[in-house]
Amino acid sequence: MARHDEGVVTVGRSRAGTIAANATGIIFGIFMIFPVYWVLNTAFKPDSEVRSFTPSFLPKNPTLDNFRSALGEELFIPSMINGLIITAMAVAAALVVGFLAALAIARFSFYGRKAIILVVLAVQLVPFLALLIPLFLMLQRAQLTNTLPGVALVYLVLLLPYTVWTLRGFISGIPRELDEAAMIDGCTRAQVFWKIILPLTGPGLVATSVYGFIQAWNEFIIINTLNSPQKQNLMAWLLYNQTERGTAWGPLMAGAIITSIPVVVFFLIIQRNIATGLTAGAVKG
Amino acid sequence: MYAVETPPLKKEPVPSQPRRANRVRRRTQRDARTAWLLSLPTLLILVALLAYPLYRMIVLSFQNMRLRELITGLTPPWVGLDQYTKALTDGVFWGVVARTAAFTVVSVTISVLVGLGIALLMRRVHAKVRLFMMIAMMFVWALPQLVAAQAFRWLTDSDFGVLNYLIDKIPGVDFANHSWFVNPWEGWAVITTLVVWAGIPFLAISLSAGLTQVPKELLEAATVDGASSWQALRNITLPILKPLLTIVTTLSVIWNFGLFTQNWALRDSHPEPVYQTLATYSYTQAFGQSRYSYGSAISVITVLIMLGVMVFYIRQMFKIGEVD
Repeated sequence: MARHDEGVVTVGRSRAGTIAANATGIIFGIFMIFPVYWVLNTAFKPDSEVRSFTPSFLPKNPTLDNFRSALGEELFIPSMINGLIITAMAVAAALVVGFLAALAIARFSFYGRKAIILVVLAVQLVPFLALLIPLFLMLQRAQLTNTLPGVALVYLVLLLPYTVWTLRGFISGIPRELDEAAMIDGCTRAQVFWKIILPLTGPGLVATSVYGFIQAWNEFIIINTLNSPQKQNLMAWLLYNQTERGTAWGPLMAGAIITSIPVVVFFLIIQRNIATGLTAGAVKG
Repeated sequence: MYAVETPPLKKEPVPSQPRRANRVRRRTQRDARTAWLLSLPTLLILVALLAYPLYRMIVLSFQNMRLRELITGLTPPWVGLDQYTKALTDGVFWGVVARTAAFTVVSVTISVLVGLGIALLMRRVHAKVRLFMMIAMMFVWALPQLVAAQAFRWLTDSDFGVLNYLIDKIPGVDFANHSWFVNPWEGWAVITTLVVWAGIPFLAISLSAGLTQVPKELLEAATVDGASSWQALRNITLPILKPLLTIVTTLSVIWNFGLFTQNWALRDSHPEPVYQTLATYSYTQAFGQSRYSYGSAISVITVLIMLGVMVFYIRQMFKIGEVD
């Protein structure tokens, strides 16, 4: 509400104010989107246009060469496969383990419940990079450095607290009366779990695993520290590629786009959950 | 919250008082056992891969672990508080602390103010403009941090970067081949812009969701009573928004204080001393210089500095009632 309009009765709705507000909004949107647009613009330019002192705002001769050369890089496809394997392992493990704990804190009242919640909340705030030194030493002793499961194990810890926390929210959202009705009708706890809670948490499981995918896919510092260049993921490839080849901007931007596509698509699908997950409840007023 | 409001045991059929009490107690005990059993795998993993490393990090910070110990597997010598003394008496370390703190204050202040401004702006603009703003922010939010950093590295490239090209167009300004990272103030301006740019979507969208909770009638009543928009904002909107504002500000502090990706990527994985933050400094000491113990000591100090903010965040979460 930058402008205030003297003497206007309706809440600041002068014509000039509205025009200024719309103009500011449009300029802001352009400012936000420009870097994204520039990545796309660069990726479709031939090298001669990328390395030009007068950059054009649209590719004059659009080409897919940059994508071809990124995909043709020796380690690009292996990095992509490594990333998928590690992410799948970490997300699957976090989902199974985290679901059980989420069930416990959402559905049982027991001594120590609050302590577990506190732990889950607190560890999310631990600057994870700080733990990288001891983790590196531990994994090295266990001969798990430069392996995919080693990285997956670290990512599991990275994802677990959030997974527990979000799934707990989804399970709490299922009316407890359903459980009780089923139990009165003779269901055991286990049957309640298999027949009521698990199916009804389906969408929550999808949303949580998608978020886990994004987290694990975007990580590059841990894997870059633990593994050799042959066993990186795509994000680390982007970083590695940068130092190795100086500045092959076209292929780099093309690689960045390929790396980002799954994340951006998934993110746009579940963004509502992310926003509410971080700040849920704070809006009650 | 649910569990507190409706204890799960109350729908038991009631034969007689003492027998019921017995059964309830038995069930409570069994429930507690089941609950702990369900939580066990999570707790074990957190202990093994979070609590234990945390403990190891603290032990390490009292030792002197170098490359030799890493290769031979020998127990590193115990040096007591030496690593801490070394850090706390080192001007370079204090420079890093001050830089990280200053960056956090500046970047969080700008991000939150702009985020709030955009959230308020979104209520005034045309629906189509709002949609455009939302779409732009969504894409920025979705972009992986490293990709965003690479994009900014390209925008600010000294030879072919579009930023130099655009600034150079201003009459009388020569920005051809301008290098943005020679002068640390300019370099940090780029890093801060990147962090603020990437942080705004979360802030603006969360806060604009929060703004929908502000009752329209209240604002209208205030206007009728002659309040200016500024007064309405200060006395009605902001107090209602305060809990949310506190949470998002705290989160931003935690995130920005741990700055790593942006300065790391923009400086080609080798940040010069003047571009080091606590996170990169600890990392470089450990993995670049093989001073694992010194790096650990710096990490411990970092965690201690952040502890206050974290406790504040968790207390807020409990206070607001998100946590039951």
